[in-house]
Amino acid sequence: MFLEIKQLSKSFQNDLIVDRLSLSLDQYRTLSILGKSGCGKTTLLKLIAGLETADQGSIRVNGEDMTGKTPAERKIVYLYQEDLLFPHLTVRGNIGFGLKLQKIPASDIKEQVDLMIQRLELQGQGDKMPHQLSGGQRQRVSFGRAIITNPRLLLLDEPFGSLDVGTRQRMQELFKELTALYGITSLFVTHDLKEAILMGDDIGLMKKGSLQVYLDKQDFLLDPLTGVRSEIEFWESLLKPNY
Amino acid sequence: MNKLKYLALLVLGLGILFPFTYLVLLSFSGEWFFPEVLPGYFGLKNWKEILNSESGMGLSFISSLGISLLVATLGTGTGFIWSKSIAYHSQKETWLVLAYFPYMLSPVVLAACLNFFFLKSGLSGTWQGVVLGQYLVAFPYSVIFFQAFWNHRTRQFEQLVLTLGGSSRQAFVQVILPLAKGMILVCFFQTFLISWFEYGLTALVGVGKVQTLTVKVFLYIKEANFYYGAIACCFLVWPPVLLLYLNKRFVYNRLV
Amino acid sequence: MKSKSAFGLLFFFLLGLLPFAAALVYALLYSLGIVGILSEGVSLTHWQQVIQSGELLGSFLYSALLAGTGVSLSVILALLISMGLRTSLQHRFWSLLMYFPLAIPGMVASFLSIQLLSKAGFFSRISMKLGWIDRLQEFPDWINDSYGIGIILTFVLIVSPFFVILFSNVYQNERIAELSTLAYSLGARGNQVFWQVTLPILFSKTKRIMILYFIFLLGSYEIPLVLGQESPQMLSVLIIRELKQFDLKLIPEGYVVAVAYTVVIAIAALLVFRRKEVQVHE
Repeated sequence: MFLEIKQLSKSFQNDLIVDRLSLSLDQYRTLSILGKSGCGKTTLLKLIAGLETADQGSIRVNGEDMTGKTPAERKIVYLYQEDLLFPHLTVRGNIGFGLKLQKIPASDIKEQVDLMIQRLELQGQGDKMPHQLSGGQRQRVSFGRAIITNPRLLLLDEPFGSLDVGTRQRMQELFKELTALYGITSLFVTHDLKEAILMGDDIGLMKKGSLQVYLDKQDFLLDPLTGVRSEIEFWESLLKPNY
Repeated sequence: MNKLKYLALLVLGLGILFPFTYLVLLSFSGEWFFPEVLPGYFGLKNWKEILNSESGMGLSFISSLGISLLVATLGTGTGFIWSKSIAYHSQKETWLVLAYFPYMLSPVVLAACLNFFFLKSGLSGTWQGVVLGQYLVAFPYSVIFFQAFWNHRTRQFEQLVLTLGGSSRQAFVQVILPLAKGMILVCFFQTFLISWFEYGLTALVGVGKVQTLTVKVFLYIKEANFYYGAIACCFLVWPPVLLLYLNKRFVYNRLV
Repeated sequence: MKSKSAFGLLFFFLLGLLPFAAALVYALLYSLGIVGILSEGVSLTHWQQVIQSGELLGSFLYSALLAGTGVSLSVILALLISMGLRTSLQHRFWSLLMYFPLAIPGMVASFLSIQLLSKAGFFSRISMKLGWIDRLQEFPDWINDSYGIGIILTFVLIVSPFFVILFSNVYQNERIAELSTLAYSLGARGNQVFWQVTLPILFSKTKRIMILYFIFLLGSYEIPLVLGQESPQMLSVLIIRELKQFDLKLIPEGYVVAVAYTVVIAIAALLVFRRKEVQVHE
């Protein structure tokens, strides 16, 4: 398994936020995690990224133990709900930021950034500042900035939460295209049932700090806890004639 | 109704501009005896005298400027860096309340109670002592000021740089400093003005040997030399007005 | 990471808190006769003397009265200006002009007050010219007077422009204009909107700052030093006078006042700025 998490726990003061959580994920796959706010999903992602320290349990990526490694050493990128573009840098500067940190020659950075701008369908926007972009464009820049560093693992925390329906759909497609193209392994956290089903190769449900990963989508659909069945029943009840 | 408003506005505008104009006019005046409404002499005499004589006005201006620049640089620099330790501390609120103690206390009383230490260390009567004394006021101000900067969002930016493969140093230089630039500038001028406007602590620690402009004004008031006093006041007032012209936020302070 | 943060706290402690603590402890020891040139061992005599003489309490009340009046008048004046002339003050020229008085330090304000308000001052001369008074003595006592009128006026000159800007900013940031429209649509009348919407919001958002300014004025030094009278004196002036006097036996009494003042400020800081922090983890 590429990502292996075993018995991971974390509490703040007396609140147990992540509770003996285990999961595993193959390379180049996306695990989507469905969870309401407050279920501990943000803390889980921060633990994996190394932004919080676990009380117990282990995280292994490609067989390598992550304990004690700094965020930079892990090569795991965590994307926030907000796009968090650096306000003092252009689109180009934002996308190339991670490469610049690695002190890659400027000409190489330019080449890679140009290619990324094309793939993100942001041609002609490269020299704009973040405040001149629309919500969807900003989210794409944020994405490109993460993917271009070729992370071992990409963690997404409700990335499309603030977008309108149409933009959201386009972003979901773009995300699938790009992760396939760059061979990205990712965890995708969302509270949207449909998005969870659409985005994940595997799918899990997080509640009160524990995670259940389903065998397949069928299994997920059948579990009453996921809310899929009540959703189906609702729509069906509308179709059935009422006498 | 509208007429009343215009009248109020006019009075307000004249009221605000009056002190500035009055100071300038007074600095050019002479032989202004009671009960005359206008001075008997109006010209460059006072300014010529003060610039030629050994009044030390030039020196006062230079030492005020030097001391204030130093206090502002030290206060803002250290305040910015160390305010982070407090902002991200789990007992943040307790530390902050403690920071308000020296900030709310009258600087001159603080200086008076510390005078023993200033005397013992030989800092009394030196510009270094005055800088240290004013720094003790400017530093807590700066720490409190920057609490607003170290918020959730700044923290997220820092973490983002870390997960993108950057070091803390890179995060600081390439993201934190550019983000904080505006606030650093405002804090710099605020602490500059705290020092520039300070009188009591400066007079007490400086014991007459460090004559900043405020000390000069007080001396001229005591001597009843109002024409020279007005010149010293002009030196004190016009630099902040210039800052205002550059950016209003440099002069308007708001804590809490 | 950890060690850097610990170093930061240490630095803050050394340069932010230690001087404050040292000042307080030194003053306390001096006031109890433990240190000092003429110390005769621990005794409460200085405290008793200060309390019996009534000067400490008098100075506290006097300072609080002047500071309180100064802040209250400033707030009222600032409310009148910022709300009465709201639309005009949004104009660039006027909004910039309102910042001008912030460039005047306390010492210059005191200087101006002497120039304008004293018996031989500018206003007195104008009154004479206009025939309102015939002799210098007829002009009211505003400088070094027993009611502290000069001090209060100077406080208002220094503080009210700040509150005009503050109220204007809060009015915009808290979207009081929109809330007022809402209140009107719910059937409120002009007066009701002002007293039940505008004013409560402005006050709740600025009350800490008002208290902070009260405390600043309570400890203000140069304005009462220049414009005040012999007795009663405001706290800072009284403390410095007692500490710098030639009669060495009386110096501990100055420290008594300093300790009392410092403790009051510390308690005020605790009351005003203590907050419980709420952290949310998801």
